[in-house]
Amino acid sequence: MNDRRSARAILLTAAPIAAAVFVFGMSFGVLAVAARLPAWSVMLMSVLVFAGSAQFAAIGVVAAGGSVLTAIFAGALLNLRFVATGIAVARSLPGGRLLRSLLAQLSIDESYAMSVRAGAPGRPHGRTLLLTGAFLYTVWVIGTGIGALLGPVLGDPKRLGLDAAFPAGFVALLWPMLSGRHAVRCAIGGVVAALALAPFTPPGVPLAGAALVGLWLAR
Amino acid sequence: MAGTLALALVLGLASLSFVMRATGSLLPNLPPAITARTSGLAPALLAALVAIQLTGTNGLLHLDVKVPAVLFAALLAALRAPFIVCVIAGALVAALLRAVFHL
Repeated sequence: MNDRRSARAILLTAAPIAAAVFVFGMSFGVLAVAARLPAWSVMLMSVLVFAGSAQFAAIGVVAAGGSVLTAIFAGALLNLRFVATGIAVARSLPGGRLLRSLLAQLSIDESYAMSVRAGAPGRPHGRTLLLTGAFLYTVWVIGTGIGALLGPVLGDPKRLGLDAAFPAGFVALLWPMLSGRHAVRCAIGGVVAALALAPFTPPGVPLAGAALVGLWLAR
Repeated sequence: MAGTLALALVLGLASLSFVMRATGSLLPNLPPAITARTSGLAPALLAALVAIQLTGTNGLLHLDVKVPAVLFAALLAALRAPFIVCVIAGALVAALLRAVFHL
């Protein structure tokens, strides 16, 4: 069993992922500032939310002129999958209910994947989740800060094509998820629902429709 | 964006995310049939976000520099390029088309 893996070994394994998370954080910071969010709120978001795709989606909605409620809605729905990963890691986390619910905040896609790989079948490795999560959290916040500082230096967002960066990023997040028929079905269903609702409903409703179709078509 | 709106965005998203992560760890006995369905949310939402950003309010494709940008990013993603490469390439395509054709 991997229970005796040293902290150093766990962090070394996570290093390449941390580098990717750092760059992701930087690009998030740059784009969020370009979407005219105050730099302090961009930092605060990374400190409190710690979920790349959800933050990216929320900012993307704001950049495209959507309301705050729609942005929260889009980001929160993307994070619903953490209910499932929370269940998976619950038995691997130490402490009582309060401590466990706090430690579960360190689960993101990457730290969860590492803990599953390091653990026994059906039992993710708790220490790997916590150490990797804390490591990635640190570089995510630092990356965001550097990005938010760099953002204003870059100049006019539209001239730099930053408005295209969001849909390009959404595609890049989506593509690796499209393994298996269920996911493809959900993606197509989401597009159809969103486009069918868009002409007749206020912003936000098309996303809600897409979410419902995604829940319905999964499995 | 005004400071108060930005703060509302951050706190709203943060509190909902906190609750979701905490829920799973506190209720490990939720039936898998329910939680398995959440796997369909991310692909459906991301695909919908792309579709909404590439179309106008009439639900039809709005032809501008974002379309080739997204197609190029999708191609790179299919070739397993890292996230940041896809994002920068998408932005570059849009910026170049704008600069060259004054779109």
